[in-house]
Amino acid sequence: MAVAEKPLYYLTIHEAQQLIRERKLSPVELTQAVLDRIAAVDGKLHAYINLMADSALASARAAEAEIAKGSWRGPMHGIPFAVKDQLDVDGAPARVRQFTKGVGDATPVRKLREAGAVLLGKLHMSSMPGPELPLPRNPWNTDHITGGSSTGSGAAVSGGMCLGSLGEDTAGSIRNPSAFCGIAGLKATYGRVSRHGLAPLAWSLDHCGPMARAVEDLAHMLNVLAGFDDKDPTSSAQPVVDYTTALREDVKGLVIGVPRDYIDECAPRTAPIVLRRVDEAIEQLKALGARIESVKVPTLHLATIANAVIYYNEFWAANRNAASSVLASGAAQRRARIYLGLLTNSSDYIQAQRIRSRCRAELAQVFEKVDCLALPNQNGPAPRVEEVGPIDTLFKHVVPEYHGPFNLTGLPTLSVPCGFSESNLPIALQIVGKPFDEVTVLRAGYSYQQQMKWYEKRPAI
Amino acid sequence: MNKLIEANLKAVLEREGLEPKAGDLEQFSEIIELYVGNLRQLHSVDLGSEELAPVFRPEWK
Repeated sequence: MAVAEKPLYYLTIHEAQQLIRERKLSPVELTQAVLDRIAAVDGKLHAYINLMADSALASARAAEAEIAKGSWRGPMHGIPFAVKDQLDVDGAPARVRQFTKGVGDATPVRKLREAGAVLLGKLHMSSMPGPELPLPRNPWNTDHITGGSSTGSGAAVSGGMCLGSLGEDTAGSIRNPSAFCGIAGLKATYGRVSRHGLAPLAWSLDHCGPMARAVEDLAHMLNVLAGFDDKDPTSSAQPVVDYTTALREDVKGLVIGVPRDYIDECAPRTAPIVLRRVDEAIEQLKALGARIESVKVPTLHLATIANAVIYYNEFWAANRNAASSVLASGAAQRRARIYLGLLTNSSDYIQAQRIRSRCRAELAQVFEKVDCLALPNQNGPAPRVEEVGPIDTLFKHVVPEYHGPFNLTGLPTLSVPCGFSESNLPIALQIVGKPFDEVTVLRAGYSYQQQMKWYEKRPAI
Repeated sequence: MNKLIEANLKAVLEREGLEPKAGDLEQFSEIIELYVGNLRQLHSVDLGSEELAPVFRPEWK
């Protein structure tokens, strides 16, 4: 669809920033269009838990005035975005903290604001404490879930209620809702995006990252988000590159590894349509000039349970002082994580860390022969709301699946749409790269996206 | 729930001065048993002299 024919709220960040820079689109007009969209559809989608319309319009007016004076800050200037509630915002700390103070703006929020982006508000996350809020609904079919735990981030981007969002991923929470909602999502390398101001689930597994409609939008957001932050003890000082250099339609010569043994291990729990769509996507990458190699990662079958052990132990440690309150009144998922953390001893945690080392070493060997990996990103299309129990996610976390291994190893991982199920629900491909090689991951995803154009399809909400 | 797992969980809860929410142990018995079972798999692999993933670094930042 031509840019001129699209509703403003469905522009990609890449399209909107070009129009804003050329002064063909006003940030105020764009922000108002998105706020109108929120008013029209969020009653059905329930993505926002804290809409900051007045401050968003004030930021948009400031952006407009600045750009009019010739002071364009960059591609995120004037772009409306929203954040998962797990990130602190000045005046709106993460609700999931419950018993600790927020830090003001989390570093990723601060960086986007300093780049001139317009903060629309905070988005629902699953297992939040406090009064029950309506569960976000999938814009492709509101009888279905969005995936979590960045539930609102998936619904808001997919439903045209922001141009980009921030999510957080400890065991798939950026990639899962990105897949279910038909958008792109990036869990960058651990340490690439600051965790300062992110209420912790598990310190060594938590990744903050961008979610948006198109791969190029993720590159624009990552250009702002990436970089060392002395407020995050695990932040990396690795040099930051310009991620938009990845935006070339070319995978010729790229070697893409497919961990067939691991996919076979997960296959009994994976819907056939997912495996079919992912195989089609891999064939398409081959047709575009990539070389496809089958690879083996012998210990990967233990990576998901190792990720879960580290997750629940660190969650227990992070929440120890609040545990009695969590058990008395917290969400079911949070209570269950406390019990599972308590049941794990130091030997289990140490063994999980040793498996982490082994998986990292095995993957390093694989990455001597390939540039990236391609594999599925979900067990099935988004289930219906009534099919999902309050702790179903935890069952996914303790048997081999597609997300946890890449939290465990901290590798950069992209979710990119690769088609639809028989019932028109989105399916996604997962592309995994070497540490800090987000460029290759984005390049493979962008080439595929530009060929297939799945991102141009819109839900009929 | 498996009696041994239940007794273990109750003991660590008591050690920490915590009370489970009423009905939780029944409600979560399936995930707890699956998790504890899969923990055993974690120890099924021979890791030889593999060290811990997070290595202590003595330098000042």
